[in-house]
Amino acid sequence: MVKAATAARRRRLTAAAFLAPFLVLFVVAMVAPVGYTIWMSLFREQSNGGLGFGGAERVFVGLDNYVRAVSDRGFRSGFANLAIYCVIYIPLMLGGALALALLLDTALVRARRFFQLALFLPHAVPGLIAAIIWLYLYTPGLSPIVDLLADGGLAWNFFDPDTVVISVVNMAAWQWTGYNVIIFYAALQAVPREVLEASAIDGAGSVTTALRVKVPMIRSAVVLTTLFTVVGSIQLFTEPRVVQLKAQGMDSAWSPVLYIYRAAFTEHDYGLAAAASLLLAGLAGGLSYAVTKFGNRTRKGALA
Amino acid sequence: MKHRTLRSAAAVAGAVTSLALLAAGCGSSGSDGSGGADSGGVTEITYWSWLTGAQELTDAFNKSQSKIKVRFEKIPSGTNGGYDKVVNAVKAGNAPDVVNLEYNALPEFASQGLIQDIGDKAGSTVTSNFPAQIQNLVTLGGKTWALPRDAAPQVFYYRKDLFAKHNLKAPKTWDDFKAAAEKVKKADKASRIAAFWADEPGLLAALAWQAGAKWYATEGDAWKVSYTDPASKKVAGYWNDLVKQDLVWNQVSYSPEWTKGMVDGKTLAVIGASWSGGALKATVPAQSGKWAAAPMPTWDGTPASGMLGGSAYALPKGGKKAEAALRFTTFATTTADSFKAQLSSGASSALPAKQDLVAAAKQFFDTEFYGGQDIYTLSSAQIATIKPGWVWGPLQISANGTLKDAMGTQDYPAALDTTQQKAVEAIKGRGLKLAG
Repeated sequence: MVKAATAARRRRLTAAAFLAPFLVLFVVAMVAPVGYTIWMSLFREQSNGGLGFGGAERVFVGLDNYVRAVSDRGFRSGFANLAIYCVIYIPLMLGGALALALLLDTALVRARRFFQLALFLPHAVPGLIAAIIWLYLYTPGLSPIVDLLADGGLAWNFFDPDTVVISVVNMAAWQWTGYNVIIFYAALQAVPREVLEASAIDGAGSVTTALRVKVPMIRSAVVLTTLFTVVGSIQLFTEPRVVQLKAQGMDSAWSPVLYIYRAAFTEHDYGLAAAASLLLAGLAGGLSYAVTKFGNRTRKGALA
Repeated sequence: MKHRTLRSAAAVAGAVTSLALLAAGCGSSGSDGSGGADSGGVTEITYWSWLTGAQELTDAFNKSQSKIKVRFEKIPSGTNGGYDKVVNAVKAGNAPDVVNLEYNALPEFASQGLIQDIGDKAGSTVTSNFPAQIQNLVTLGGKTWALPRDAAPQVFYYRKDLFAKHNLKAPKTWDDFKAAAEKVKKADKASRIAAFWADEPGLLAALAWQAGAKWYATEGDAWKVSYTDPASKKVAGYWNDLVKQDLVWNQVSYSPEWTKGMVDGKTLAVIGASWSGGALKATVPAQSGKWAAAPMPTWDGTPASGMLGGSAYALPKGGKKAEAALRFTTFATTTADSFKAQLSSGASSALPAKQDLVAAAKQFFDTEFYGGQDIYTLSSAQIATIKPGWVWGPLQISANGTLKDAMGTQDYPAALDTTQQKAVEAIKGRGLKLAG
């Protein structure tokens, strides 16, 4: 009896010891900051004295910061920009990555290792560095590309506020396509060879095999990358932040994260920034749920 | 059973505590830079700045006495992240003892409770050393918030050789300027007289100030906001036309295109201020001897000026060594040795806010770049022409952000309407009083 109790206790201790690092990090890095953000979102800083030179204090404003964020046209137009960005970026980048992975997976490609490395290399360049290099490639007078396009009769202003989203998509796609190619390619390696042989014997060409056999078999990888891409896109910050340095018509709150950044670091309105962050986090959570739910349902449908 | 749960809870708690201790350890080692223990009667203080010559100033002060040791740290320039850094440091409780702030940022820092009122200890230093126009900018709501470093009246810089080539003289009025702009473009399609920086609201502010605008004023204990007064609209409309008609470059301030235009000799003039004299030298050193300075063109031909930039020394909240910090800032603002050190780098032409230092400062600035022209006497003569009564707003940094955004997408006069509306909203939201 005593022995059994001791064993059980030891097991619990072991479990606690293994769980503790995760729990501690989770609390310190996740629960505590989120809790603090919720707390901050309920306050607003105000200055004393009619002119404001009598010191500052934080006052409780309830949900006012949320109301302010939602009713701010700047915040909403950030979401509009983000939506346009996602509609262009997600299909283009994931579609491109899938196509490249399927090409790599066929016997057609020589020097497969070289292409794998070449495709992945852009992802190894830190995002900020890549963004700055692109900024130079976009700048007329400095960029060989802009001049080349102009000589070819395709004059294009990468900083035009109406089409700047394309410049942003390009930067992001350049960085992330290769990364997703590697994930898709790894998933394709796991497709059983006998299935592919069977489809070949049944007379399927390589295009049919790719679209009808391979793609359905790596569906879970596609759902996973879509999830990562959606969540990553919502946090769009680096690329527009850098393009902004040059594109004069681009709003300082071009994306929701830029709006939060401006509220916190330019306007020092931490309450508004906290409220907007939580709204954005809510949206990211909702969309992730939708993507996984949708992915699971289509999978079940396919199996039935 | 209960006993065991407690035990495992204790295990978790133990792990939390040790991690917290670890975190605390990191925290304290990170902040000791500003804590700085006194050792052997020497007080250590920290000074943050991005200004040219700040390191030289620190060295000169440290050499001049042995009681106080200043540690200088370079930060990004104000709106490029420097102010964010200062604000966050104050909020986190590890602010430096001294920072440089531009005059237009002072009211915002003061009203957000980020800097100390130094009236008790330095109020008389301000009133006895600096001209009234500059005192106004550091004395807000009856309190003194900073010691002024430099005066920044507007100054017009131009390429003597290229002006001569196009048979032009330094424009006296803005009409002259426009005529000259047309002439330059006509003579050489790839050249423009100057660049307008729509991304730098301080430039439009200085130009409006010169025309007699007052974006902010105080009436009793209430703010008055008027971005849309006739003078501001006139100035905004004028530059909007020049940009629309492609008579000036529409470039981002200090961008590679702007620099390229300067280096290639395709930009003939700079709408600058006293301090640009040194900056210009650093930008296009190869054009030494080809530049000259002149008073800014005006609307009616009578000399007038606004201020473009200019900065002061403030003491962030939370600093416990105000006395030492004030000794340092007093040295920095009121002694010839300070300006000797700051100007020794050659890339600064800061015009001392304290007028009787101008004569000394002048000797430390090498005028070869301007063909020997005495630009110090010229720019200090402009101080008297600065239009009185200009006040920066209590949320000026945010308002500048709004104006910058609006100027990117709207005509400049319409951008002023947008800014007016948002600035008023922001002031109300901050709990301040509005007049009228």
